Amino acid sequence: MVKLTIDSQQIEVPDGTRLFDACAQVRGEALPHFCYHPDLSIAGVCRLCQVEIEGMPKLTIARNTIVRDEMVVFTRNDRVKRAVQQVLELHLINHPVDCPICDQAGECGLQDQYMEYGLYESAVGVADKVNKRKVEVIGPQVILDQERCVLCTRCVRFCNEVTKTGELGIFYRGDRAEIGTPPGVELANNYSLNTVDICPVGALTSRDFRFQKRVWMLHGTASVCPGCATGCNVRIDHEGDRIYRLKPRFNPEVNGRWMCDRGRLEYKAVHDEKRLSEPLIRRSGGLEAITWQQMWRELTGLLKPGGVSLALTNPHQSLEELVLFRRLALQLAGESQVFGSIAGTEIGEADDLLLAADRTPNRRALSWLELPEIESADLVARSADAHRQRILIYGGDPAADDTVAAALRNCAQLVYFGTHRNATAELATLVVPLSMWAEKDGLFVNGQGRIQRFARAVARPRHAREDWRLLADLLAHLTGEQKLVSLTEVRRFAAAELALAGSLDLSTLPATGLVPDATEQAPAGGER
Amino acid sequence: MSFKGLPEGVGDRTQSFRDAGYFWEILRGLGITMKHLVRNLRHTDEMPTMQYPEEKRVYSERFRGRHRLTQREDGSVRCVACQMCSTVCPADCIEIEAAEHPDPSIEKYPESFTIDLLRCVYCGLCEEACPCDAIRMDTGIYEIAADSREKFVVDKDFLLNNDTDGTL
Repeated sequence: MVKLTIDSQQIEVPDGTRLFDACAQVRGEALPHFCYHPDLSIAGVCRLCQVEIEGMPKLTIARNTIVRDEMVVFTRNDRVKRAVQQVLELHLINHPVDCPICDQAGECGLQDQYMEYGLYESAVGVADKVNKRKVEVIGPQVILDQERCVLCTRCVRFCNEVTKTGELGIFYRGDRAEIGTPPGVELANNYSLNTVDICPVGALTSRDFRFQKRVWMLHGTASVCPGCATGCNVRIDHEGDRIYRLKPRFNPEVNGRWMCDRGRLEYKAVHDEKRLSEPLIRRSGGLEAITWQQMWRELTGLLKPGGVSLALTNPHQSLEELVLFRRLALQLAGESQVFGSIAGTEIGEADDLLLAADRTPNRRALSWLELPEIESADLVARSADAHRQRILIYGGDPAADDTVAAALRNCAQLVYFGTHRNATAELATLVVPLSMWAEKDGLFVNGQGRIQRFARAVARPRHAREDWRLLADLLAHLTGEQKLVSLTEVRRFAAAELALAGSLDLSTLPATGLVPDATEQAPAGGER
Repeated sequence: MSFKGLPEGVGDRTQSFRDAGYFWEILRGLGITMKHLVRNLRHTDEMPTMQYPEEKRVYSERFRGRHRLTQREDGSVRCVACQMCSTVCPADCIEIEAAEHPDPSIEKYPESFTIDLLRCVYCGLCEEACPCDAIRMDTGIYEIAADSREKFVVDKDFLLNNDTDGTL
């Protein structure tokens, strides 16, 4: 342990601690900084974290300094403050101050630091500033503005150290230095939008989010990415009933501070124009909208105990929904006729960072519930069997496969609980509109076997229902048992059904999620 | 009539017939009315009543009238869709949708810009918040009339060519 004094306060920290971290401990907030990022190597280029150390003639940057015994450090005196001001002035010398049109405004490091250490009067007039290239497209997702860049090299280090793809570099020297890609190279890796997150200024911005919304108008909801079995923790940024972007949420056990570009665009499906907003019934060949009262009559007429020849769900549904569906499906069909998913679908290629091969968020829950996979050939054979087939499909789009679609076309009754007017909906007799992941609360079990909660961010389409309510209604109707009336009750029911330890409360999970049994644990997205 | 515990005279409602009839006050009030009537008839040019709408009051140049969007020299909209005005607006009456401008030195412009004149409280905070002097309330127009609520929601084209009178 090392004893030192920071801002006339005694503190004891372990050997080898960086002065930056010790200062943060004393101050309650970090020193001003651009280049430092907890998950990247130390660069020491922005010169903002300067502190005065007694006995040293010049100021030193705290990030690169390792604490010594008896050190006396000042972080808030006039000399330090003046130095930070001057460094900031230098950072801003050629900055275009175009905050009104900059997407970073509102979450910008430069704005934040300037409110505390700004000079407020620039020595260089706007007309005298050196102009650099603006609106430079450097990849499919990222746009670069050279004028706003402060050369902190966070993005360069990210591409070198995290993705190890090395697309970005610093070119030229001195005041002409700029971030860029070598000729013919694009910033096209699947993690490129993380450079936008870590960029402390508005130099790198997202093309997808460009000019969509000012960030201070957005509300954040903690959720989980539904894109693959890793289950990266995300924040859904939304305003009104629209989602504008997904941002990674720190979870050291799952995704750290990163997430992939593919996952960030998962929200698009929520606002797809093919979303189902009304219950539909097939009449004289076409699908017609009906009311929920009519739909309820049709559903209860069709779904009779033992009256369904095949029930199929998919690993996009939440844990609670799958538990309820399994109970319901076992009432409707025999045990050998209830399936969790179609084998071999939604499997892609994994990378060595976060993206898992399994492109569904909740396949682990299917195996917990022992809902088996069905081969698509088997599905075709079963559906083609007889013309009196009654099939219940909950979510997914099995008819996207042509042979399955051809088989499903033959069956007499196809009840589809879904979210989009897709190929399966076009074949269905009854189409029941339900909600997507951002429109409901629920739990996903990721590839590690970690139960993680996602929360409702936006409203459902007009007449769509929350899945668990419909399933609980149907279950109560079929069994005559007491209806489950809250999600807490459904979760208690799910915990019992899964035979989880009695003390396990699915309604109050820790922030990092919960792995109920150590033996269940398996790597989700490879090493991170 | 008197009330227990109160000082003498307080709450005492006893009035004479003359006081209770307010005769003197009524006569005095009518006197003032007549005085003004006679004076206005004798000096019609000093009458404060105006013959609106033939005659209109002259307001200060700083009067906040209906909004307008200013233009660049080439006639394009000066607004860069930063949405400071819609952020600061206490009535939440400004809706802006931004889009990419073909000229990279301008970068951003409002694809649509609507103001709901019925919601607007004419506080002028939008003018103050604007970093580009793009929105002004200096038209001096205060007569705003239309025959449907929808017409009070004015769009970018209207605000750019704000030379019409009060009828929307």
